[in-house]
Amino acid sequence: MTTTIQRGQQLRHIVRINEEIKKVIATAFTINLMAMNAIFLAKRAGTAALGFGVLSGELRRFAIDLQKQMANLGEMTYDSVSTVTAMLKQARLNQMVERTLEICSGRGKDLVEDALDSRLNGILADRQEQSDAANHRLSQMIADTVQLVELGSVLVRSAKIEAACGGKLSAPLTQVSSDFEQSIGEIQGSLEKLTKHHFEESAA
Amino acid sequence: MKTAETIFEDGGHKWIAIVRDPKRPHYIIDTNEYLIVQDDDAILCDPGGCEIFPAVFSALSAEFDPSRIRALFSSHQDPDIISSLSMWVEFNPDIKCYLSWLWADFVAHFGGTEKTFVVIPDGGMEIFVGGLRLQAVPAHYLHSSGNLHLYDPKARILFSGDVGTALLPPDEEGLFVENFDHHIQHAEGFHRRWMGSDKAKRDWCERVSRLDIDMLCPQHGAIYRGEDVARFIDWFANLEVGVLKS
Repeated sequence: MTTTIQRGQQLRHIVRINEEIKKVIATAFTINLMAMNAIFLAKRAGTAALGFGVLSGELRRFAIDLQKQMANLGEMTYDSVSTVTAMLKQARLNQMVERTLEICSGRGKDLVEDALDSRLNGILADRQEQSDAANHRLSQMIADTVQLVELGSVLVRSAKIEAACGGKLSAPLTQVSSDFEQSIGEIQGSLEKLTKHHFEESAA
Repeated sequence: MKTAETIFEDGGHKWIAIVRDPKRPHYIIDTNEYLIVQDDDAILCDPGGCEIFPAVFSALSAEFDPSRIRALFSSHQDPDIISSLSMWVEFNPDIKCYLSWLWADFVAHFGGTEKTFVVIPDGGMEIFVGGLRLQAVPAHYLHSSGNLHLYDPKARILFSGDVGTALLPPDEEGLFVENFDHHIQHAEGFHRRWMGSDKAKRDWCERVSRLDIDMLCPQHGAIYRGEDVARFIDWFANLEVGVLKS
């Protein structure tokens, strides 16, 4: 019973991870649009905003990379759903075998004991191994994503500095860089939640 | 736990009914499973739902080595009939499941592999268990659109799936029908509502009345014996079915 409850919890955590992935993709899309507008704005500001224009271009690339990375994470969570669902099914079958063992006798009991033994050492062990490997890959990818977002954060800080030197368009450029900063903050918040859910999912 | 009762025995040829589970949760409908044995070979009719698998398996083990069950017969696709399939496959990956061609792809959602299913055409087919010849009898639309019963001409027993079902109160759970007129009141509402086709019902009654039947064994309720078999077929032939009535 405990195992089926744990698998259920894992599935709920995966659902939450997916929700955070969707949020990050949506925010990355917004950053992409904002960066495109920022490039035009920087062009209008002329040489004073040259650095801001370059950083906006980098932020666009960052947003595109992040969207791709999150799409990959989404695919990995889909694989996790498949693995956890298979484990949930196996856990349920296991429960039935254990219940049968409790009330069985004679030749039937021997059969059930053999089946349970083979399940624990075979199918369930294999599934656990698959799940552990998938969790490890997901952890690695989340860590890579956190690094990528750190790069985005650095770009935004630099954009803020460049905006201050943006001549007569300094005020709107500062506003744009603040918007960037807010979006990156939202992404970092989502990644924190995502990491927490992943940690809890792995621990379940 | 359920009990296994031998209802027919002639040398190595047996019918074992696995019935009544006092510990069954009240929200799960009671079911009867029938094991047809010929020497070392056996087929289990409507093995039941996943939830009651432990009770069925353990009761059956008391009478017969479950590893020798070669096949399952599924009268139709309902969960109380065959959702335990994955458990039976667990114990015997080579086990076969005979069922209407209509349902093979659907029942595969409960378990099994490509090689598990032996599909039965609409006209029925012969199934051999040991040297024993059984006949899958069409009972389509009674109630399922792909429905089959299993007739054993040697034992003169018909496994009739949901036909003959009675939803018995807890104090009237005898294995056999003892008082037909009293018993049939528990069958009426079920047959009116669940049996959807009057034409299919009349066709089934006409065909089955020509068979030599000593026992008619439904998946729920009590077994009809002797004259009660013909009595039931007559009653069913005259019953208005496929109507919404309380």
